[in-house]
Formats: sequence, C-alpha cells, structure tokens
Amino acid sequence: MTTIAVVGTPGDRRVTMFADACARQGLDEPAVVPWTSVLRGEEIGIEPGALVRIDSPGEDAEADALLRGPGEPSRIGGGARWHAGFVAGAARVGRAVAATPGAVLLADVEDVSVMFDKRHCHARLSAAGVPVPPALAGPVGGYAELRERMGEARWGRVFVKPAHGSSASGIIALHASGRRVRAVTSAELASGELHNSLRIRCYEHEPDLATIVDLLAADGLHVERWFPKASLGGRAIDLRVVVVDGTPTHAVVRAARGPMTNLHLGGVRGDLDAVRTGLGPQGWERALEVCARAAARFPGSLAVGVDLMIGVDWREFAVAEVNAFGDLLPRLEGLPGGGAEGLDTYGAQVRAILARHAPVRDRHVPVRDRYAPVTERPASTRERHVPVRDQRVSAGDRHPLAKERHASVGDRTPRREGGSSGA
Amino acid sequence: MDHTEFNDDVDGLYRGDYAGLPIVSLRPPGAPHPPAGEAAWRVSVHVYNAKETFEEHFARFVETIDTTEVRALIVGGWVEAYEKDSSGPIRLLAESAARLPALRSLFFAAMPQEECEISWIQQSDVTPLLESFPLLERLEVRGGTGLELRPVRHEHLKVLRFEAGGLPASVVRGVGMSDLPALEHLEAWLGTSEYGGETTAADLENILSGERLPALKHLGLQNSEIQDEVAGLVAAAPVVARLESLSQSMGVLTDEGAEALLSGQSLTHLKRLDLHHHYLTDAMVERVTTAFSGSGVQLDLSDQKEPDGEWRYVAVAE
Repeated sequence: MTTIAVVGTPGDRRVTMFADACARQGLDEPAVVPWTSVLRGEEIGIEPGALVRIDSPGEDAEADALLRGPGEPSRIGGGARWHAGFVAGAARVGRAVAATPGAVLLADVEDVSVMFDKRHCHARLSAAGVPVPPALAGPVGGYAELRERMGEARWGRVFVKPAHGSSASGIIALHASGRRVRAVTSAELASGELHNSLRIRCYEHEPDLATIVDLLAADGLHVERWFPKASLGGRAIDLRVVVVDGTPTHAVVRAARGPMTNLHLGGVRGDLDAVRTGLGPQGWERALEVCARAAARFPGSLAVGVDLMIGVDWREFAVAEVNAFGDLLPRLEGLPGGGAEGLDTYGAQVRAILARHAPVRDRHVPVRDRYAPVTERPASTRERHVPVRDQRVSAGDRHPLAKERHASVGDRTPRREGGSSGA
Repeated sequence: MDHTEFNDDVDGLYRGDYAGLPIVSLRPPGAPHPPAGEAAWRVSVHVYNAKETFEEHFARFVETIDTTEVRALIVGGWVEAYEKDSSGPIRLLAESAARLPALRSLFFAAMPQEECEISWIQQSDVTPLLESFPLLERLEVRGGTGLELRPVRHEHLKVLRFEAGGLPASVVRGVGMSDLPALEHLEAWLGTSEYGGETTAADLENILSGERLPALKHLGLQNSEIQDEVAGLVAAAPVVARLESLSQSMGVLTDEGAEALLSGQSLTHLKRLDLHHHYLTDAMVERVTTAFSGSGVQLDLSDQKEPDGEWRYVAVAE
C-alpha cells in the first residue's frame, strides 16, 4: 500500500485538500509532519516506504515566528532569514527521508530554495532561454542605488520585488522620472515600519518611497524592467498555470485594475476563454509551452505554479515567477485537453505520484465524484493528450522524468542547471 | 449613434473594433495587410525600450499602407510618453493630413495603464488635429497632463471625448468656446485637482448653455471629484432638454448630487442616464430608480461604491 506523508500545517487547507484528493484516489489519509516541529528541530518521523510531500507552512503564525523570528505576522521583512530557515528545514526533511528505508522525497530542496529566491529563479529561467523581463544584475542596496541603476539602464518603470517575498508582499510597481515618482504597492508604511495591507497604495512622495525601498533592500531586492501586460475589459491580466509532472494542467486568469493581480489584493478571476480567444490557438499553445519550459527548470518538483504575463500586444510572453507552492486553487478543474480534466490541482498531483511510484497492484479504481477522473488512463497514452509537450517543446526541455515514470525524484541528486542556479 | 460603444476601460485598443472597423497594427515587412479602408489602423511604438521611434514607425506605415484610404486611426504610444510630450506625433499627423484625406476617426494616445498611467501621459496642444483634419468626425484624446485646446470651428466633428484623470479647466473652456455645429457626443472626464482637474462652474457655462453645440445628443461630464456640483449645474442646464443621453458617471456622485438631479429639470425625455460608479446610499438608489421607472429612461446605477473611510475616489485618476 502506498503511504504518503505531508510536511505542512495540520488542518491547513493545503493539507486537507491534498488529503481529500488522496481519499478520492483510494489512498489512506497522509500522515502530517508539522512544519513547526521540523523548524524546532524535533525528530522527524517518517514511515519506511513513505512518499514525502513538502507543502507550504501556509499562514501559520507559529511557523512564521520560527522562520522569521517573533513579531507581528503582517510585517514585511525578515525574508532572508525566512528563506534560510525554510531551506534548512526542507533539507532536514530530505535527510530524514534519505535515512528512512524505501522513503522517497517528492520534492527537491534546491528547487525550492531557488524558487523562493526571485534573483536565482530569474537567473535560472533566463539562462535556459525562458522569456523573463530583463533584471538589474547584482545587488541593489537601496533607493539611491536603485534610481542610479534604473537611470543607467534607461528604465523608467520597473517592478521592485523583495528577493524572498510571496503573494505580492512588498512588491512595488514603480514609475519614476526625475523627482516625479509613482509607486503602487500593498506595503503600508507606518511609523517607519512596513506592513502588508489588503489595500493597494500609491506613493507619490519620493522620501516615503525611498524609506520603503531602503527598508525592503535589507533582505535583498530583485528589480525587473516593467512588462506591460495585456488587458481585458479594462483590467490587466496574467495567468497562473499549474504544471504537474511537466504538463500544464490548470490555469486561471487573474485580472485587476492596477498592476497587482493577486486575488487577495482585489484582483478577480478573469475569463479564461476570452484569453484563449485573444491569444488564438497558436498563441495559447505557445503560452502553455512557455509554462512547461519554465517548470522544466525545476525537474525535481512535482508541481509548480508559473505566473505568466501576456504582453500588451497579446504576442509576447514573460514569466513573472515560478511558485513552489502555487497549487492552492480550490475547486479549479483541469484544462480541457490538459490531461487532468475533472481533477483539481491536488488530484492531478496524486495521480502523478501514483503513476510514478505506486506498484500496479496498489492502484485503486477511483471513486467517482466531481473531481475524480472518469477513467484512469495509463501513463503511456496520457502523453498523447498533451500536444504542447509532444510537438513544441524540444527534447532538451522535456521534464527529465517524463520518460522515466518509475524513477523516483528522491533518488536523484539535485541537479544544477548549467551555471544558472545562481546560488 | 450608439453611445454605449464608449466606455471607461482605458483600454489600449490593441484588439477588437474601433469606429466599426477591426483594429489592425502594422505587420512585419512582407506580411499581408487588409485593404486600408477596411481596418482601424493602430500606429504605436513601445513607450519603454522602443525598437523604433514613432516617426520611424509612422514612416513605415505611410510607405506600407495606402493612407489615402485610411478612415480610422488609433495612435497608441510614443517613446517615453511619460517624459516627452505629444507635440511630435501631433505635428507629424498634422503635416501628413494631405496623405490622410479619408480619415474620419482618430483616437490619440490610446495607452492603457500598463503602458503609461493616464496622468503620466504628457499631452500638448491637440488643436492642430482639428485644424488639419476638417473632415474629421470623431476625436478621442487620452491624458490631461499638459493638454491644451484652443477655441476652433469645426464643421464635421460628431464625437469629441477627453479621457483624463484631471482635465485642465482651459480645455473645458476651449471646448465651450469652440463652434462645433455637428457635434453629437461630448464627453469630458474632469478628474481631480490632484491631477490638474480644476474645472469650476464658470468653466462649464458655455457647454451647458449648448449655444455652440446645436446638434448635441449626448453629454458626459464625468469622472469628477466635484460630481455633485456638476450634477447641480446639469440639473439646470439649458442644453439638457435637447439631449438623448446624459452621463454623470465615474465621479464622486453622492446623495446630494442625485437629489439635485431629481429636483431639477425633468430628465424623463432622456433615452439613457448613466450614473455608474457612484456613492449613493441604498435609499437614494431606490428613489432614483423609482423616479425613472416607467419613464423609458435606461438608467445605469451599477458599481455602487462605499467610501473608504473619509475617501471617495473617481473611477480614473492616476
């Protein structure tokens, strides 16, 4: 019997939705290894033969305090410490798995580390020829240096991103021309401290902006040239595409009146059909191809969430981010023709895990319900339903495990992309 | 005329239709183009990191397309439009008027927010567009910063729209002092004083009298932070009796402005009254709805806003 364990926050939606997906495909409820216990250095108990998934700690305040140190959870900052703590925790899990007979890690610690550092992630994608907006090279120490470097590059408009932020935390959409500035951000500056806010703010007073950038710079900044995005009905859009085991299976359109499309910041789900129509069949295929290529740079990761920007002219694409835990899209069904129709993002991952790791006798006929697949196709025929990978992606960009379905991720030494991991 | 084709999307007009024609951008050399008269041509270069200047792009357009047939033109962005004003592209268009004898519809500076925020678009005097194209029927301009309009007489203009986060009062006066005998649709986004929109009652007087606008059917004075005051003026404005359609949308319209509209001159002759994006209370929404029920007026009260603390916002400012 296949046994799965999840490193996460007990009771968190990510954990329960993944457990639901396991149940639908006839698996036992996964054991949960709490992030808090991993981060406290407690012993990590893994059952022999378990397949171990690493998920996000979610919004657990205790885990956050262990990672960033004590403080108000809404504060911005401590990203570098968060990153170091998180990667160290993931590495501990990896060692515990390696020390457990037959256990397999369904993740790659180095992939996770790179995805949680926007500078390294950008470098890895860029070196592999995945379209990304150009970025300022090397560290940017503060506001004065930022403006100097923008001036040298002749960039009037940029995205300033904390190197380790997530969910748009601390991101600034900055337009600057001389002393005239306009900075749109969810960061709220109050009494010299930065907090995440659910309201987008616009700062046009340069000294305030300078304070904000200087505060953010302490944890590292990644600065990308502005990429004007396409819009629908007066809202700028981007796509979140979940790529499972090399195949883009799920996509949502995020739309907003301002530069931040995140749903918690007032973004709304946009009309995917309208985007597909806007791109046309070839454009849509190219969009998915870009996402598959971005995901292929993280070969040890079962699923990633690619944030894809479509250019204002509906022709160009650029990857904004690759998210290690970008699969939290409740009740979203798979794309037509994407091979995961009728499955949510967790169902698609459970199926991929089974396809890779479960002995054939363990496979259950799934219980039919809303998110269960009507039929379980053998892996060999599934490929046919994925024209993107079959026709468009060059062999070198294929998911390295795509043809080795019985190889386990955990058996592989973490790969370094040819000089691009930037670590 | 269908006034509903105009909206507050501040779209880049990259796709879809403009002035009833499919929007087409200049394609790479050698690629086929539709006949010049059967498309709305989008002429534009990147605001940032442009590979060619607007002048170079326009030259390529003129060489590639039979411009004598072109009926509709969308000018998008020019290089560093947030720093360099629009006088270059305007001069170029004006100088090219002889090559564009069929031009009837022009959208100037169709940059979406993603390309250049509306208040950052550096405009200039757009009067040459009207002076050089006496047969133009439709002019739409985006961006109020630096915008100028001198009083003109134009025999054929039917549609005049100014999209702005702050429309200079001098432009509002310029419209009012112009003779526009054919004008049917006038739309002015007055905006906020923060972005240069400081229109007062006196600036609107000539428009509201309608004396120089004998053909006017639609009037939109909208997106204003003083929408209540504007509504109060409109409620008593002579021009309103001739209108088919009135818009007081996108602004900070509160119960006070709605009260003025209800207690002023009768509006039931209108086909359409657009108040979308407003700060009316539920009770006032109901009163307005009741007041117009059965009148045949198509009433738009969508997008009811809640004040954010003390703050109320117009739909498009920045």
